[in-house]
Amino acid sequence: MERTQLKNISISGSGTSSGGEYDQVKVNGSAHIHGDLVCEQFKCNGSAHLEGNITTDTAKINGSTHFEGDVEVKEMTINGSSDIDGHLLCDELKVQGSSTIKGNVKGKEIIVRGSASVDGNVSSDEIDVKGQVKIKGDCEAESFEARGNFKIDGLLNAGTIDVELLRHCEAKEIGGENITVKKTRDASGFKKLIKFFMSNHNDQLSAEVIEGDNLYLEHTHAEVVRGNTIEIGPGCDIKRIEYKTSLEIDSDAKVGSQEKI
Amino acid sequence: MENLISKKDLLEEANISYGQLYRWKRKNLIPENWFIRKSTFTGQETFFPKDDILLRIEKIKTLKDDLSLDELADMFSPSPTLTSLSAEELSKRNIVSQTAIDMFNNFHGRNQSFSFNQLVTLYVLNSLLQTGDVNRAEGLDLLELFHNQAQTVKNAGCELIFIRKMGVSFFILTPEPANLCLEPQAKKIAHYKLSQCMEELKLKLS
Repeated sequence: MERTQLKNISISGSGTSSGGEYDQVKVNGSAHIHGDLVCEQFKCNGSAHLEGNITTDTAKINGSTHFEGDVEVKEMTINGSSDIDGHLLCDELKVQGSSTIKGNVKGKEIIVRGSASVDGNVSSDEIDVKGQVKIKGDCEAESFEARGNFKIDGLLNAGTIDVELLRHCEAKEIGGENITVKKTRDASGFKKLIKFFMSNHNDQLSAEVIEGDNLYLEHTHAEVVRGNTIEIGPGCDIKRIEYKTSLEIDSDAKVGSQEKI
Repeated sequence: MENLISKKDLLEEANISYGQLYRWKRKNLIPENWFIRKSTFTGQETFFPKDDILLRIEKIKTLKDDLSLDELADMFSPSPTLTSLSAEELSKRNIVSQTAIDMFNNFHGRNQSFSFNQLVTLYVLNSLLQTGDVNRAEGLDLLELFHNQAQTVKNAGCELIFIRKMGVSFFILTPEPANLCLEPQAKKIAHYKLSQCMEELKLKLS
């Protein structure tokens, strides 16, 4: 059967639509869409409010949107701001502005250059944060790279965890294969200036438990650290360490007790 | 209370690393509800149902050379991997006996092919008949129960318990983990975890 040619919606100025199935949906002014939307392309340069769920190939948000339902998309770029009340399912998500999601986020590649906050769980193959991320649930990835500020209320579970500390980072529990936590070294002039006013002690990671095969930690505060090979760098304050193969502790680190198991 | 094992003891006993455990959790090879958090003197610790997790890890370790982690995850997940199988193929591949298929067909009418959920029913029925734990009449009771509770069975995480007291028998279908206290005369004849039955079935079908 031949597929019928789908129509486009383009809203310039202010308008409403009932939703439905379309090829391209473009909002240049302000739009209110009352139902579910299925389309190939969704682009919002103004402000849009969608009452239903949306399924689309690409979504580009340059203005602001509010999705009341679930969002299913292959490629999503948020340059402005976006609120999603439901779950987000995507292949690639790029947040360059700000975004809040009340449900879970599932993706293959998640890149955050602005700020994102998620009330549910996050799972993705790759997560790359250079900005700010807040997650109320758990966060799972094959590779988790952060150079910025994150707060995870649950478990951060990833194959490779690579953190360059910038301000205060926090997770309740961290587990994975290779975990590296380092302080940013190449401070720019601007950062040095900020540092001059703010105390230096802010660059720090805190967690209750950190477990992994190979760990390198700097400026980390934790109750328990467990692993095979552990290297504790400067600025750490750890109550208890349990290791299997090897343990090195920097002279500028504070460790309560250590045990080889 | 079920027999629990701490994370540290588990790694020791199963001889795996933290990384492996976390990778398998990520790949959904180990169900979320097996991670039980309890407070201890060192703060919060994670515990696991001992028999289940050791069995599961043993399986993962023996199968992981032949199957990819994603294929393993499919096997352990409660959702079906295949849609249907013909009656002919079922008996040819010796997955269930002809007796069980006949009983099923008598109850539901003749089936040309079986859906995954029907296969689970057949599989449980067959194994109860084969072990001699139930007779034909009780087998029909089981078919009736599974038929009426199809939705419960489908959503997995169920346990099936067969109890007999002074010759009177009945089935119990309960969410996992079941925790039954029986009076002394009552005898637990059979106890199945449906999620485990599904795994076994998937293994046989693959």
